[in-house]
Amino acid sequence: MKFLDLVRLVFENLGRRKARVALTAFGVVIGTSAVLVLVSLATGLQRNANEQLYGIGDLTQIQVYPTYGGYYYGPGPSGGGESPSDPVLITNQTLRDFAAIPGVMAVVPRDYFNGGLMLQYGRLEGYVGIIGIGTDNLSNLSLTATQGETLVGKNTVIIGSQVAASFYDPRIRPGQEPPPPPDLMGETIRVVLIRWNQDGTETRKTYQLRVAGVLTETRNEPDWSMYISLDELTKWNEWSMGRRINRDKDGYNQALVKVEDARQTVEVTDAIVALGYQAYSPQSFVEGINSFYLILQIIFGGVGAIALLVAAIGIANTMTMAILERTREIGLMKAIGATNRDVMSIFLGEAAGIGLLGGAGGVLFGWAAGQIINVLALAYLAGQSATNGGPPPSVAVYTPPWLPPFVVVFATIIGLLSGLYPALRAATMIPIQALKYE
Amino acid sequence: MLVQTAALAKRFQMGENVVTALQGVDLAVPENAFCQILGPSGSGKSTLLHLLGGLDRPSQGSIQVDGEPIDRMDENGLARFRRQKVGFIFQSYNLITSMTALENVSFPMQFAGIPKRQRKARAQELLERVGMADRADHKPGELSGGQQQRVAVARALVNTPRLILADEPTGNLDTASGENIMELLAELQRDGATVVMVTHDTRLTKFSTHQVHLLDGRIVPSPNGKPKKSRSRSR
Repeated sequence: MKFLDLVRLVFENLGRRKARVALTAFGVVIGTSAVLVLVSLATGLQRNANEQLYGIGDLTQIQVYPTYGGYYYGPGPSGGGESPSDPVLITNQTLRDFAAIPGVMAVVPRDYFNGGLMLQYGRLEGYVGIIGIGTDNLSNLSLTATQGETLVGKNTVIIGSQVAASFYDPRIRPGQEPPPPPDLMGETIRVVLIRWNQDGTETRKTYQLRVAGVLTETRNEPDWSMYISLDELTKWNEWSMGRRINRDKDGYNQALVKVEDARQTVEVTDAIVALGYQAYSPQSFVEGINSFYLILQIIFGGVGAIALLVAAIGIANTMTMAILERTREIGLMKAIGATNRDVMSIFLGEAAGIGLLGGAGGVLFGWAAGQIINVLALAYLAGQSATNGGPPPSVAVYTPPWLPPFVVVFATIIGLLSGLYPALRAATMIPIQALKYE
Repeated sequence: MLVQTAALAKRFQMGENVVTALQGVDLAVPENAFCQILGPSGSGKSTLLHLLGGLDRPSQGSIQVDGEPIDRMDENGLARFRRQKVGFIFQSYNLITSMTALENVSFPMQFAGIPKRQRKARAQELLERVGMADRADHKPGELSGGQQQRVAVARALVNTPRLILADEPTGNLDTASGENIMELLAELQRDGATVVMVTHDTRLTKFSTHQVHLLDGRIVPSPNGKPKKSRSRSR
């Protein structure tokens, strides 16, 4: 039997029993639309979460900290105090080791100022974190400037986008309007370092630094930080601590490892952790979130699949009934020369056809339902974000392009599988018994 | 001989009992014969016909049709045999009610893989031959019993079979319609077909060239003493 003839015959046969086919297919419609809507919902939630994650940081960047070891000083008398593991410091050798890991583009040590610090600009004061960065250009850390440049120079400073807003007037009178944030670009600000001596007295040291650049907003730590060169910061820290710092012995506080591709981030992170360091990347966080949503998709899809399973039983039931009713027809087809395979194909085709019709209907139905949910949910969520702050979600239900065709094919296969047993029964009937069946 | 059986036996399991439908049947039907198998109900005549058409398998013995040993064929072989070599006509017509007369006639050609255009032409031609051309687009429900059986005859002829098997083709028809169908079958035989027909109606023997009497699953001599072979045809 030719394939086109088979398809035509299958749909003619389905057309003969419109009401029953429609009812059976409706079960499939419910199942497939449930799969479609639920998986789309999980995907939409994931996209939303990823959008909100914007600003979580550069996904190709790994923050590495030294491990100070699990010191355990037992209550025993003398002899104790041996640490179970030595501290793992970030030394200059370590930086070279990191750079040798495949996929690593740059390794940048950085440090914070450990002492007291105050910023002055005219009569305004500000308190922000100072970061000494071991690179000559912040663009190596994927930071960009809205004003000025990202080159780390001598006697200059690069400030984050919110630094200007942190300046305030300490002598403001009650009721007086606070001054607007100053435009610091190109201005010279004074950095006052404060050291407390053993006898309780205070020593101050003042640096004059020119603002060479203002960074683009990142919604992260750089917004509230000032960047100077690591050498400069080391000097400040040495003054503050009153002793010299040997990086090979004391190590760096932190290193940033930049990889070429976000897909390598987790791999490189694992490699660094294997060396005994503590390493964190936003990417592993994002991947954790993504795997959570993948599980959510599977669970949601599973709920839909249960509905599809019920529909599959419906198809099997309908086909079994059809075979009983059409026993004589099966006998006749065999008498006029249909092979077992022909008969099997016809009934499998009918079962798959119900799955196909239901799947196609389910996609339309599910898509429409998704649009309605989108409109309702977005209106609700937009209201929520208006009261809570934060950007409004752009999408609640998102159907990936591969999903509708997949769902239709899946429903067709489900139909085919549920038709397997009835079709096999039909195909193996003895012709004369089928013909004599009343 | 177009049809030849040897020591053919068929037994059915009916609950705990074994019912013998046929035993030791040696039948020979020459080419271009109109052979009637006569006998009371329960004599095994329908069973014999079904075995000849490959709709069922014998318990014992051999069947050859057109030189093919159909008792030794597998399912696919039997399907091909039915498709190419035999045309069935049933008492209850067995037309598919959702199809038109034309579609019913062309239906077997689908399994033979004949292209649609050719199928339609051939079906139209056969409907003309059985005098049903003007009813080609009618569904079985809109046709009388006699008309339906004519469509069924056309369907049986569609793959130009060597052997036409008819199981009580007039059983559901009034006398006039029955006569019509018999005339049609006789005409087919005159045109060269071989027809084997089962009936219990002895009035129809006038159309036949050969008669076989069955009783309790065995071939018996003609009960009323007439010779087995009869060429006393009305025309």
